[in-house]
Amino acid sequence: MKYAILFIIILLTATFFTGCTQQQTTVAPGVIKVGVIASLTGPASNVGTSMWQSASVAADEINAKGGVYVKSLNKNLTIQLVQGDDESTQQGGQTAATKLITNDKVDILVGGYSSAVTSAYEQTIAEFKVPYIVTGASSPIITHRTDIDTSYVFHHCPTTDSYGQYTTTFIDQVIRPSINKKFNFPADRPLRLALVYQDTAFGKGVQAAVNNTISTNNLKIQLVSQQSFKMGESDFRTSMTAIKAAKPDAVYLAAFPNEGAPLITQARRDIGLNTIFLSVENNDNAQFYKDVGQYGEGSIIESRFSPYVAPTGAVAIAQSAFKQDYYTKWNSYPDALGASTYEGVYIGAQAITTADSLSKADIRQALVGLRMPQLIEPMKNMTISFSPEFRESSFDLWMEQLSFNSTLGETRPSIVWPDNLKTTDFFLPDWYSPGSA
Amino acid sequence: MFDSGILLQIIFWGLYAGCIYILLATGLNLIFGVMKIVNFAHGEFLMIGAYVTATIFLLTGINPYVIILLSMLVVMGIGAIVERLCFRPILGTSKLNEIFLSIGLIYIFQNGAAMLWGDKWQSVKSPYQGISLPLGSLSIPLDYIIIMGVTAAILCGLYFFLKRTKTGREMRATSQNRKGAMLVGINVERLDILSFGIGCGLAAAAGTLWVVSGQVFNPYMGSIPAVKAFAIIILGGLGSIPGAIIGGLLYGIAENGAVYFLGGVWKDAISFIILIIVLVIRPTGLFGESGE
Repeated sequence: MKYAILFIIILLTATFFTGCTQQQTTVAPGVIKVGVIASLTGPASNVGTSMWQSASVAADEINAKGGVYVKSLNKNLTIQLVQGDDESTQQGGQTAATKLITNDKVDILVGGYSSAVTSAYEQTIAEFKVPYIVTGASSPIITHRTDIDTSYVFHHCPTTDSYGQYTTTFIDQVIRPSINKKFNFPADRPLRLALVYQDTAFGKGVQAAVNNTISTNNLKIQLVSQQSFKMGESDFRTSMTAIKAAKPDAVYLAAFPNEGAPLITQARRDIGLNTIFLSVENNDNAQFYKDVGQYGEGSIIESRFSPYVAPTGAVAIAQSAFKQDYYTKWNSYPDALGASTYEGVYIGAQAITTADSLSKADIRQALVGLRMPQLIEPMKNMTISFSPEFRESSFDLWMEQLSFNSTLGETRPSIVWPDNLKTTDFFLPDWYSPGSA
Repeated sequence: MFDSGILLQIIFWGLYAGCIYILLATGLNLIFGVMKIVNFAHGEFLMIGAYVTATIFLLTGINPYVIILLSMLVVMGIGAIVERLCFRPILGTSKLNEIFLSIGLIYIFQNGAAMLWGDKWQSVKSPYQGISLPLGSLSIPLDYIIIMGVTAAILCGLYFFLKRTKTGREMRATSQNRKGAMLVGINVERLDILSFGIGCGLAAAAGTLWVVSGQVFNPYMGSIPAVKAFAIIILGGLGSIPGAIIGGLLYGIAENGAVYFLGGVWKDAISFIILIIVLVIRPTGLFGESGE
C-alpha cells in the first residue's frame, strides 16, 4: 500500500512537471511551419515543382536574414517548409491538405495550382481555419464560392476574370487594328476570335471572362468558334481542323503548358493554321518554350513574370535577383506561379510579424489588413494587399510576343503591351493569314 | 454546307489515332487469345516504349523510325520477364488475381518511370517535322504517312508470322484450344512468354509512333489508351485480330468525328457509346464467336 501511494505521488509529480515543460514548448516555438501544396508529381508537376522550389528560395532568404521576428516572443523564428504533393489530382490534394494540417500542424499554407484540385480541399481549410495564400489556382471561385467558408483563403495570383479581360482588351486595342491596317480592311471590321478552353473551372472561367468583356465593353470581336477539351488532352488535330474551318483571325487558348505547346505545334505544323495564338500566363514556362519550338513564333502570352523577360523599372532588378538565386539553387528558371509562391512565403512571414502571434485567427486578421510593398511582380499601386470582399490581390499584367531565336532553337518573349511596360511593338508575322467570313 | 475536305481531314486524323489503337489492341488481343489473361497494365508498355524511343533518340540522334525495332525488342524483353515472374504463377487462378496484379504493375511501372525519367511531360521533334506531301486537296505531314505505313508493315509482319510460321500456327492453335494444343505436344508455356512479349512489343511500337507524332508523354500516359484498347477488343471480339484492327480504326474515326461535331469533351465518351450499342446488338463483338 505504501509503495502504491509513493508510486502515485511520483506519477503525479512527473505529470505536473511534464505538463509545465509542454506548456513552455507551446509558448516558445522555434520555427514557423509553412505548408506548400503543389503538384510535385502527375501531369502538372512541371509547374508544381517551380512553385515548391520558389518557396524554398524565399524560405532560404528569410532564414538567412535571421528569420521572422515575433515581438511578443522577443525572438526570431525560422521558416520550415513542409511539402504537400497534391499529385495533380483532387484526391491527392485532399490528402496533402489534411496531412499538412492535422499531422504536420502547419501554421500557414501557400500554393495550390489547378482550380479543380484546390477547390476540392477548401472544405478542409474551412474546417480547420488555417490561413491559406493561394498562389496558382486562378478560378475566382476559390474565394467567391458561398457553399463553404472561404474567409481563411487569400488569392495571390491573377484570376481568370482579370487575365481574360486583359487579353480580350489587348486583342481589341492592338491585334484588331494591326490586322485591319495590314490587310486594308475597314477600320471597324470586327476581329474573328476562336476560343479553345480546358473543360474545367479554369477554362470555363476564361471563357466567361472573354464573353463578358466583349459584351460589357461592346468590343468589335466576333467569337466564331468555342471548342472545349478534356484536361490532359494531347491530340488537338481535329479540334484545330474545326477551328480552321471557322476562319479565325486569332485563337485564344485557355490551356496548361502541357496542352498549349502541342496544341500550337499541331495547329501550325499539321493543320496549317497560320494565325496568332494567345495563351494564359501559366504557359510562360521554360518547358513551354522548349516544346513549342519554332511554331511559337508570333504567339502571345499574357504574363506577370517570365523566365526570359522583365519589364523595365524597379521590379526588373528584383526579378533578376530572384531568377539568379533560383538558378543557382535549382539550375533552372522559375515561372509565374513560382514567382507568386515565392511572394506567398514572404506575405505569410509579414502577416506573422504583423500578427505578433502564431494564432491562425490573428494571422488571418493580419492578412486582411496587409499592405506591403510589391516584391518581384508588379502590383496595382505597387502594393500587395487583398480586396475586402473576396481577398484577391491585384496585379499589373502585360502581354508578351514570342520571336524565334534560331541560335537557341526556341522562341523568346518581348513585352508588347501595355505602353508603360512594353519593350517593343506587336508585329504580324509574314506567314500570318487573316480569317474571313 | 459541309466541306468534303474537312470530312477527309477528320477521317485522316481518325486513321492516325486508329493506328496507335490498333497496335495497342492487337497486342492485348494476342495476349488474351493465347493466355486468356486480363492485363490492365498493357498501357504501361506503350509508355515504356515511348520513353525508350525518346531516350535513344535524344542520346544518339538515330532516326526514331529505326529505333522502333530496338524499342520493341527492349519492351518484348521486359514483357517476357513480367510474364515469367508475375503472370505465370497465377495463370489459371481467379480473374481477380490477374486484375489486382496488373493494377499493381501499373503503379510499379509508373513510379519506376517517374524515378528513371522524371514525371514531367516531354516531347521530341521528328526529323521529318515540317515536311508535308500533297494528298488530293490536303497537305499531309510526312510523319503521319510514315506512321500509317509503319503500322501496316507491322500488321503484315504479324499476319505472316501467325499464318506462315510454325510458331505462329502453334500460337493460333493454343488460342483456339489450349488443352488440345498441350495434348498434341505444343509447349504452351513457351508460347505464353512469346505472345506476351510480342504483345508488349506491339504496345512499344504504338508508344514510339506516339512520340514521333509530336504528342507529349509522361509516366501516366498509358492508362487511358489501355482502357480504350480493352474497349476495342471487346468491340471487335475477344481474341480476334481483324476485330482489333477494325475496332481500332472505328474508334479513331468516331473519336475524331465526335470532337468535330460534338466537342472535345465527347472524345472518350463516344468510344463507350459505340461499345454499348454493339454489345446490345451483338454481345460477342463484331468478329467474336459465341462461346469464345
